[in-house]
Amino acid sequence: MTDSLRRLGATTTDLVEGLGRVAVFGGAIVGSMFRGPTRFGFFVRALYDAGVLSVALIALSGFTVGMVLGLQLFNVLTRFGADEGLGAVVGLALIRELGPVVCGLLVTGRAGSAVTAEIGTMKATEQLDGLRMMAIDPIHFVAMPRALALTVAMPLLNAIFIVFAIAGAFAIGVANQGLDAGVYQSGLENAVQFRQDVAQSLLKSLVFGMLIGLVATWKGHACDPDAEGVARATTSTVVTASVVILLSDYVITALWGV
Amino acid sequence: MRKGGIHLLLGGSGTGKSTLLRMIGGLQQPDSGVVSVAGQRLSGLRERELGEIRKGIGMLFQNGALLDSMTVLENVGLPLREHTNQEADEIAERVSRVLTAVGLEDVEPLLPRELSGGMLRRVAFARAIVMEPEILLCDEPFSGLDPLNVTRIEELLVRLNRELGLTVVITSHHMATSLRMSDQMILLRDQNCVAGTAEELAGGEDQDVIEFLGEDGAAYLARLHELQDVGPADGAHA
Repeated sequence: MTDSLRRLGATTTDLVEGLGRVAVFGGAIVGSMFRGPTRFGFFVRALYDAGVLSVALIALSGFTVGMVLGLQLFNVLTRFGADEGLGAVVGLALIRELGPVVCGLLVTGRAGSAVTAEIGTMKATEQLDGLRMMAIDPIHFVAMPRALALTVAMPLLNAIFIVFAIAGAFAIGVANQGLDAGVYQSGLENAVQFRQDVAQSLLKSLVFGMLIGLVATWKGHACDPDAEGVARATTSTVVTASVVILLSDYVITALWGV
Repeated sequence: MRKGGIHLLLGGSGTGKSTLLRMIGGLQQPDSGVVSVAGQRLSGLRERELGEIRKGIGMLFQNGALLDSMTVLENVGLPLREHTNQEADEIAERVSRVLTAVGLEDVEPLLPRELSGGMLRRVAFARAIVMEPEILLCDEPFSGLDPLNVTRIEELLVRLNRELGLTVVITSHHMATSLRMSDQMILLRDQNCVAGTAEELAGGEDQDVIEFLGEDGAAYLARLHELQDVGPADGAHA
């Protein structure tokens, strides 16, 4: 009994300590954004890696998800004689929920893991220590531009995902199932409101981007400095960021109603 | 360790030579004891305060620690870009001069992955000295280098030491070269260390030292001992 309590206490202390370290790390990233030099070049490069190189995956995934969603919803709505509502339902589901979440999971797997692997490798090969010995803060030089790039890239990728998904649903609903194009479009336009749906969706994806950036850079910085450690950290980034996205999705939905 | 000296850290694998170098650089904290650099205790200092001290320290890591995504010019010029107001062309000129000093030319546009192991170490060495630090920490500076470049780096280290008063701390298994240039040898053991000049240790009878130096180092020290007729090591201390 005493041992169990001791273990529980130790686990709790470790958890709180770990969260504290992540919070300090996150604070250091935010603090370094307001410190010179700006690292704009590194930010643009990281934005290219995280954003531009993810566009093809996001577009293809978006189109596929849209096609499946269009087909499923069309069949279900037809049962209730409500197939004309396809545009509205697809639009709202994608913009309010599926877009940010699925896009967040895809970006975690594609870009978040790459950031962790890159920073972890830099740690294992003493590049981060090399920076410290040159009196250069690795958080400012390495982590901040990448975390910021993921934060900025997420809403943009989310927008691309949603556009392609709506196009995918349009292709299935209109071209394949014979729904009228005007009905699909007008249903979509009438149902979706910019302020309540689109802006909130972009804000949600911005929060997801921040979380992915924080998890990915922290896991890279905190990994064991060897090949196995980097591999573990990369896997851990995908798992942790995915869980964090799903949990925060509920919290955001409950608090903001998005 | 005396300011302006060349100090050689010796010891078997796992005795803590690289760890000691990292402690001097403030990258690791000792479990006990105190590390002071230029009279300033490193323990308890914040990263920013350590950064100020590190501006006067150059460090050559065992695997070079060059940034993969940057060219040789960007790697070597990085400390200059970060800590001086020099223009890009001034930095390029300075980088070119330092690279020439370590025996490299026309490698500025190359990425680290395009360099051989020896070239990579010399680029890392160039980066470590480009800011003309007061203290240079070198983890195995001669490993992976051909004899010509070992001599080149040795001469460069000695010249920097003599002309600029650079304090050098080296870990190396390149015995003859290291002994030739070092003012002080420190042999790390499990619980203690033996320190002294090459002459002092040559005259000593410490079996650990003799065994560790091997034929190469022992022959060099014996020759040194004969030439200088050095008696038993009064000054050697543990």
